[in-house]
Amino acid sequence: MVLHKFGEKLYSGLVGTMTLHLQEMAKTIEAAQGNLFLEELNRKWNDHNKALQMIRDILMYMDRTFIPSNRKTPVHELGLNLWRDNVIHSSKIQTRLLDTLLELIQKERTGEIINRGLMRNIIKMLMDLGSSVYQEDFEKHFLEVSADFYRAESQDFIECCDCGDYLKKAERRLNEEIERVSLYLDSKSETKITNVVEKEMIASHMLRLVHMDNSGLVNMLIDDKYEDLGRMYNLFRRVPNGLPTIRDVMTSHLRETGKQLVTDAEKLKDPVEFVQCLLNEKDKYDKIINLAFSNDKTFQNALNSSFEYFINLNPRSPEFISLFVDEKLRKGLKGVSEEDVETILDKVMMLFRYLQEKDVFEKYYKQHLAKRLLSGKTVSDDAERSLIVKLKTECGYQFTSKLEGMFTDMKTSQDTMQGFYAAYAAELGDSPTLVVQVLTTGSWPTQPSITCNLPAEMSALCEKFRSYYLGTHTGRRLSWQTNMGTADLKAIFGKGQKHELNVSTYQMCVLMLFNSADRLSYKEIEQATEIPSSDLRRCLQSLACVKGKNVLRKEPMSKDIGEEDAFFVNDKFTSKFYKVKIGTVVAQKESEPEKQETRQRVEEDRKPQIEAAIVRIMKSRRVLDHNNIIAEVTKQLQSRFLANPGEIKKRIESLIERDFLERDSSDRRLYRYLA
Amino acid sequence: MLCLATGKAASKELERIDQLFFSYANNSSGLIDPEGIESFCSDLEVDHTDVRILMLAWKMQAEKQGYFTLDEWRRGLRALRADTIVKLKKALPDLDKEVRRPSTFEDFYTYAFQYCLTEEKQKSIDIESICVLLDLVLGSRFGPQVDYLVQYLKTQTDYKVINMDQWKGFYRFCTEISFPDLSNYDPDSAWPWILDNFVDWMRAKQG
Repeated sequence: MVLHKFGEKLYSGLVGTMTLHLQEMAKTIEAAQGNLFLEELNRKWNDHNKALQMIRDILMYMDRTFIPSNRKTPVHELGLNLWRDNVIHSSKIQTRLLDTLLELIQKERTGEIINRGLMRNIIKMLMDLGSSVYQEDFEKHFLEVSADFYRAESQDFIECCDCGDYLKKAERRLNEEIERVSLYLDSKSETKITNVVEKEMIASHMLRLVHMDNSGLVNMLIDDKYEDLGRMYNLFRRVPNGLPTIRDVMTSHLRETGKQLVTDAEKLKDPVEFVQCLLNEKDKYDKIINLAFSNDKTFQNALNSSFEYFINLNPRSPEFISLFVDEKLRKGLKGVSEEDVETILDKVMMLFRYLQEKDVFEKYYKQHLAKRLLSGKTVSDDAERSLIVKLKTECGYQFTSKLEGMFTDMKTSQDTMQGFYAAYAAELGDSPTLVVQVLTTGSWPTQPSITCNLPAEMSALCEKFRSYYLGTHTGRRLSWQTNMGTADLKAIFGKGQKHELNVSTYQMCVLMLFNSADRLSYKEIEQATEIPSSDLRRCLQSLACVKGKNVLRKEPMSKDIGEEDAFFVNDKFTSKFYKVKIGTVVAQKESEPEKQETRQRVEEDRKPQIEAAIVRIMKSRRVLDHNNIIAEVTKQLQSRFLANPGEIKKRIESLIERDFLERDSSDRRLYRYLA
Repeated sequence: MLCLATGKAASKELERIDQLFFSYANNSSGLIDPEGIESFCSDLEVDHTDVRILMLAWKMQAEKQGYFTLDEWRRGLRALRADTIVKLKKALPDLDKEVRRPSTFEDFYTYAFQYCLTEEKQKSIDIESICVLLDLVLGSRFGPQVDYLVQYLKTQTDYKVINMDQWKGFYRFCTEISFPDLSNYDPDSAWPWILDNFVDWMRAKQG
């Protein structure tokens, strides 16, 4: 017909015929009762499609020639449009179709089984009719109804469920909807429906969930509920501000518990315990972030900033961390594998990084290291060096050069001793064995050098060493640090008990006096040894007043040392050990006055560092205003300590006075570098 | 205000100025020393601790406290157009006015500090002397500030001496900061640290 120019007639004929036919179909569908409605619709749709196929095949020529040139809708598309207009949009079908679909979905949501295959076909039909049909006739309403449904359901749940259960339910619903989409809806609906669930079930109740009494986020954190936390993380990450909410609550909880930890008087009595608690807390949260929060970097940062906050609330943290390390290196790491040693040291380094006053740590670390080295009480040389390397990597060469100097001195001293004994071998046969550690001042923590009177045997030996050493090292000065040494004494007591006593140098001086006297008063001992009185009192207390170590007897038997007290050798002394350790050279938590002194020294050391930073900055900038100098100096010194703006100001004024800087004559806030 | 007399009148004036100088000067050193200044002051009927003597010294640009050289003497008296004690006495009120003019006062104020540095490498002045000096130069104009500042300086223990930078700071403080409310004082600004502490002390007092 097309060939004979009857295309128009054919086309309109097609339209007309099909329309009539479809209207008939619609009536049949409308007549279907209840559940059969959808099935009828589906059947008729299939029929129509089949027919459409055939018609298109038959009218292929027209489709290819007449239709394009006359701008008519192609056959297939025409068929769909007519279906849409006459069936789907027929007044009796349109609403009923939507209602039926929504009803079925509601049923499925409440647990009933529905015919998913049928649903899929019907929905596909709508999709085939065009995305606007799918959206207008179905999706839009589906989303609205779903929102109402979930709003109501979430309200019910939140009243009766605890946080963990609620989240489980929310997750289940979310997964359900995703499954629904994959089974019988357009994939483009997935994001839309999940957004609805997320908004109604999660976003609307976010704060209430997180802060729920007894089951909220804080409780989950305390009880290490990894699964619940993981679920919360995964659900909350889907909603705006979800993760920040979790993060903020976690941060404030962490800061609060951390603050309590570092100000808890009980814990502060034992520095090692204190640090272990910090490490445990860190481990706990590392695990939570790893297992539940998928190693989210923003959470790690929140963890780090919280730790940095509360560790620095306690000014003794640097000292305590050093004491912890001291305990580990002294005995705690005995028998521990190399790998585990590294792990523990790395964890310590991590706490170290949080410290704002790293220079305070350095001071204590030096003190404690000195004691360990000099008493030979380190468990593993490798572990010591490993930690120094880590500190060097973290803080640079400057930080550790002196520490390394200490190790070098120990090694050099060994060589010196060998040389000494080789040179004097003949003479020294009968003398006590002397071990000298020559310490380079400047590398070791400063001590005021007070000498005391050594027993004759010792002083002769020491002099020999001095002349030997100065013979090979001219231009150096040696001073004996009698407050830092140790001695091993072989003793025989009244009943013949033999013991080897490990004592401090001071204790040795006191004990040796009893080789030539049975009874000595405090005054006599003080005169003979010239040990400073506070040290002497401590020394005598450790020799006479401590159970199990009382190699001396005191009259009267009180704990305090009085000027008139008399001392005797304790002939009844017993110990189940042959070797008895009485030395008092172990690193301990500082007393209040010692702490003040250390703090003062640290403050003094900071002054030149601040000045150096100011000069460095001003040298390169030439002119700089007050606030900027403060900011720059603080930044430069950050890796050592937190510089106080008042202190920086004082240093600037000192530099002005010494003509390194000047104030600008017109703008008082500007400083100028004077070359 | 330098008046240049010309010719004969000028040389006569100079002669009288010199004569006046030598009437007080120490013959062996050729300078007016503390003793000479004492008698000069008594002739002038002005106490040697009076601020006007300091002003005279400033006019002379005298270098060393307690001494006047011939050049300094000439400089000062010529500028004041005074060649007798009587004329000098009469010139004092005008000198006072001149010094107190805002444009010159800061220079005078700075001079006052330098004048009190007696040793060669000295850069600071002890607290006692500073308190006296503050009262002398600023007391009449900034009474309340000086009173409190002096009280503070005597009780604080951070500094035993005051340097030029801090000294200058005191003057700027008096002229710029509203007193006693201190409302426009900004501690983050570059005020000397001692003034930050003074303000804290004041605020604590005011409760």
